[in-house]
Amino acid sequence: MFEPIGLALIVLLLPLSACLLAAFSSLTPLKKLAHVPLIVACGSAAVVALLLLLKVLDSGAGVPPSKPITWFAAGHLQARFTITVDALSAIMLAMITFVGTWIAVFAGGYMRGDKGFPRFFAVMGLFVFSMCGLVLANNFFVLVAFWEGVGLCSYLLVGYYFEKPSAAAAARKAFLYTRLGDTGFLLGIFLLWKLGGWHTDLNLLFDHIQRFQPDAWQLTLACLLLFCGAVGKSAQFPLYVWLPDAMEGPTPVSALIHAATMVTAGVYLLARCAPLFAMAPDAQIVVSWIGGITALLAAFIALAQTDLKRILAYSTVSQLGFMFMALGTSGTISPAFAVTAAMFHLFTHAFFKALLFLAAGSVMHSMGGVIDVRQFGGLRKVMPTTHLTFLCGALALAGFPLLSGFWSKDLILESLLAAVDTESHYTAGYFTLFLVACVTAFLTAFYTFRAYFLTFWGPEKIPHEAGHHAHESTRSMTIPLLILAAGALSVGIVLEPFTHWFSDFLGSAPSLMQARGRTPAKDVAHHFNWIIASVSVVLALGGIGVAFALYRNGGAERAPAGMAKVFELSRKKLYVDEIYGAALVKPVEVLAFLARVFDGFLDALARLISTIPRFIGGWVRPIQNGLVQFYALSMALGVAVFLTFVVFRITR
Amino acid sequence: MNLFALSQTQQAGGHIALAALLGVVGFFLLLPNPRGRFVPGGIAALIASAAVLVSWLVITFGKPVPDLVGTILFVFFSAGALVFGTVLVVQKNPARGAIAFAFVVLSTCGLFLLLAAPFLMAATIIIYAGAIIVTFLFVLMLSHAEGPSDENDRSREPLYGGFAGFAFVGLILFTLHQTSLGAKPDENTLVPQSHLLLPVITPEERKSLGEIATRLEEAEKLLDPDISTNTARNDCLEAFEKVYLPIKNHLTLVVGGAHVPDGVPPPNLSELETFGTFRNGSIRDRLVKLSVKPSGDGPALFREDEQARAIVKRSTIVRETQATTYKAVQRAMGENPDRDAAKAAVRQLRDEVLLLRGASDLPASNVRNLGLVLYSEHLLAIELAGTLLLVAVIGAIAIAHRKGVAK
Amino acid sequence: MITLWHFLAVAAALFGIGLVGFLTRRNLITMFLCAEMMLQAVAINFVAFARFHANLQGQVFVLFILAVAACEAGVALALFISLYRRRRSLDSTDWQELRELGVPATVDDEPLQRPVIEPEPTLTPAGARPVPQLTAEEAARV
Repeated sequence: MFEPIGLALIVLLLPLSACLLAAFSSLTPLKKLAHVPLIVACGSAAVVALLLLLKVLDSGAGVPPSKPITWFAAGHLQARFTITVDALSAIMLAMITFVGTWIAVFAGGYMRGDKGFPRFFAVMGLFVFSMCGLVLANNFFVLVAFWEGVGLCSYLLVGYYFEKPSAAAAARKAFLYTRLGDTGFLLGIFLLWKLGGWHTDLNLLFDHIQRFQPDAWQLTLACLLLFCGAVGKSAQFPLYVWLPDAMEGPTPVSALIHAATMVTAGVYLLARCAPLFAMAPDAQIVVSWIGGITALLAAFIALAQTDLKRILAYSTVSQLGFMFMALGTSGTISPAFAVTAAMFHLFTHAFFKALLFLAAGSVMHSMGGVIDVRQFGGLRKVMPTTHLTFLCGALALAGFPLLSGFWSKDLILESLLAAVDTESHYTAGYFTLFLVACVTAFLTAFYTFRAYFLTFWGPEKIPHEAGHHAHESTRSMTIPLLILAAGALSVGIVLEPFTHWFSDFLGSAPSLMQARGRTPAKDVAHHFNWIIASVSVVLALGGIGVAFALYRNGGAERAPAGMAKVFELSRKKLYVDEIYGAALVKPVEVLAFLARVFDGFLDALARLISTIPRFIGGWVRPIQNGLVQFYALSMALGVAVFLTFVVFRITR
Repeated sequence: MNLFALSQTQQAGGHIALAALLGVVGFFLLLPNPRGRFVPGGIAALIASAAVLVSWLVITFGKPVPDLVGTILFVFFSAGALVFGTVLVVQKNPARGAIAFAFVVLSTCGLFLLLAAPFLMAATIIIYAGAIIVTFLFVLMLSHAEGPSDENDRSREPLYGGFAGFAFVGLILFTLHQTSLGAKPDENTLVPQSHLLLPVITPEERKSLGEIATRLEEAEKLLDPDISTNTARNDCLEAFEKVYLPIKNHLTLVVGGAHVPDGVPPPNLSELETFGTFRNGSIRDRLVKLSVKPSGDGPALFREDEQARAIVKRSTIVRETQATTYKAVQRAMGENPDRDAAKAAVRQLRDEVLLLRGASDLPASNVRNLGLVLYSEHLLAIELAGTLLLVAVIGAIAIAHRKGVAK
Repeated sequence: MITLWHFLAVAAALFGIGLVGFLTRRNLITMFLCAEMMLQAVAINFVAFARFHANLQGQVFVLFILAVAACEAGVALALFISLYRRRRSLDSTDWQELRELGVPATVDDEPLQRPVIEPEPTLTPAGARPVPQLTAEEAARV
């Protein structure tokens, strides 16, 4: 029971039971307490996940995957269910449940009085369950099942206010865009099974592929197809457009699903499949480039947005791009280092991005639902706690020295720079990406603090929707803010730069050990790189400074001199949605019109054919005369005829 | 006698079709009809149908000569079942029909007794005659109406219904005929049915087999002592051999195999199969006729029924097992002694002997065995049947409780 | 000597008679008894096979047939009672509403010779029959 696998199952089942309890509570008068099961379940799951983390830490090399449950077997293909507990999944579990707990506490206050209260918490529970399952999965069956599970929860929660057409459209958009990626994902899985001797367990699959190496192009293709899934789920270029729209959902959802956990599933997938990607450097450079393009693009679009949540959403997209940049270096440099960099950024990002979203939610809550930064300002005095915690999150995101984002961003820059310093064919590409990362870091600091100054500084300005209720949020909302702020400030410095605890622990994961053995890449020493640190400090402080100079007085939004055109471009999101509309949607509409005409033709044909059975039916209809004995008689006669046939056929 | 120039199958088919047609006519005349019925004609047709059927039975399955008592009882009970069944179908008054059904059940129970099923006989009488029919009579009493009524004085499609039912019967009988061709008595035998009286296993054979099983069990214990050293092992094997040879000879008398005359021990028991004289064994002597059929199918059985076939097959299995048992023991006690394997070989022989002994005629006193089988092999099914009964009771109460509105 | 075949033949005949009864008779109870008779025929088959294969499985099966028949009888009786309450008849033809839309109901065309039921002689009631006095309100409601 208290073996790691057993603990993992407990973590898995707790949110599920919370989901069921919340769902059933909607039938009882306890509706208003629907958030309690989720908070309790997530909290205890977080404790158990911490225990699990310690156990895995003790066991060193990792725990063997659970005993398989065979679903069915056909030929070589054995569909089995296994879960795995190693450093990677243990860290993810702890992170998900911990952040989830505080977001649930926050949501308990934020969603109070909403009419879909139990539904919200039921789906949240289901989401945490699916996310934990996704992290624990050791084969593609379970992985895909939970992958779709989190997609479903995301759909349900984005469309939570389903009466609003925009919310329903956003939910549909999110679902369809991720589906585009999932198509590639599934194809990649099938290809991998074929390459991997139809092993379904990930560890066996990777073993098999490493032992019998397939053609390079096949492997590259498989990796790219897998990456398609990650692109969809993690909102990378060109499929990132759903994530900003997904902000239609309630803010805690944005914090949990669209910032801290679900969107990182793609990063997790690539980290889990690191042994595979380490063997396909051509796929890796694509991963890095996609990450780089996304990071820069999203940061640029975030520059001039006016919707606070959208700014944060674009920032999430951009940060995910950072993680993919780091993942793309795996194989060129030591996979353990690259994956550690990405996972560490994922880890710290979960804290400060959840914090930022919750703080934005707190602002939105007290401003009566208004989220446009132009409509309020100087909230510093009105909401002191929210202001402070938002500042912590913003500093961490901007990479202010010694805060968590600073350390993890440095690791990513370091991994890119280390990739330049190898014999790979793509050193030039990696160097370009390094520059891109630097620019993005500067932009990040700028737009974060633009939002911060516009919201909290300058003359006090409160939208009339807020009425007289503009005040600090309740304690159930501020306490999670404080806890997460503490996390955003400290997790970085505690876990990595001096102790290297995080990288050592993660490096001990069996799959990473496996990956390390397969590439010629050398290890990267864990030492503090002064050059990178100082560059990033300069970039962060520069961005903050520019924002301070432009917006410290809040008030009307202004573009820096001579940059008005650029800002306009950014405000219009680079016209990406419009380009997609013209290039993809219009042709499809024409096609749909043609298809409809053709369909009408087919319909007429079908109606014509259907007259035949109608005619026959009218003819035999009187047989159904309702007399039981007539039916029995026809049955007996029918059986007699059948028996005659059988008897004369068989006994001849 | 041109009729007999037809092939056997055509004859049987003609008989059956004739009987079925007569049955249809009889039932058509006898079933309730608002225009009145022609009773004597119907009865005559039915009797004619029965006569044709009996003649077919006699032609197909031979004259039922021996075992006069059994035959008479069978005829009595089956005639009772069929006659009362007919009465049930053609009787206008449902209460009388219920009584006729009671007699059908009683006749069936007689057949059950003939088939060695005393417990089922008792259970059927109690449940059907005792419980079901009485409740039906109660319902009839509640719903009894005076005078002619639609439900009692009309029948639905008597001709088609009779045709469907009798087509069914005719087909089944025809199938029986076709599948029983192999079981037809040999026409060369002088007294065609006498061999059927032969028991598949005589009481003496049963006794011998029981003794052999006991002795084998004792012989198995001889393998228990310590077998760690070579000498101990040889001693053990020798002791076993001394006991096993008489057992084997005894068994050979029953099931056949190689037999060594007493007092002439062969040099080596393992070579016995080549040294001994070959015997058939009493079971095969009695049941297997050595003459070869003209069709060349190999030896025919005296009693060509399933039971005899099963017994011969089983005795062959025992013989084959005993031919290899000693070798298996010897191998197991040789290098790398494996006592469990040796004991398992002996135990297998014992089990086969017991199975052969148990495969004889089903004794009439099988109620204990029936209980054992029910509560060991079919325990879950018994539980389910009990649950089903409970659910039925609840359902019946729920249905009957609802108050309907008469229109 | 009676062999397996004889028993099977008798069982087949019994089954056929039961089938004829089930198909032609219209009284629900008679139909049900005929169905039970078919079950009896099947039971004879099972017991005969049990006897001639020298094992007990067939008898066990018959025991379960008995159990099922008992259940069936209980539920069927309850159904008959509730059906009788509704239509005052046990005729299976009374229940033919579940037919295809537009198909006319099956009715018997030959008239039955029903005896004229003489009403039993009764005394004329003594005294005046009470006439209910309705108020204007009640009359309006009625």
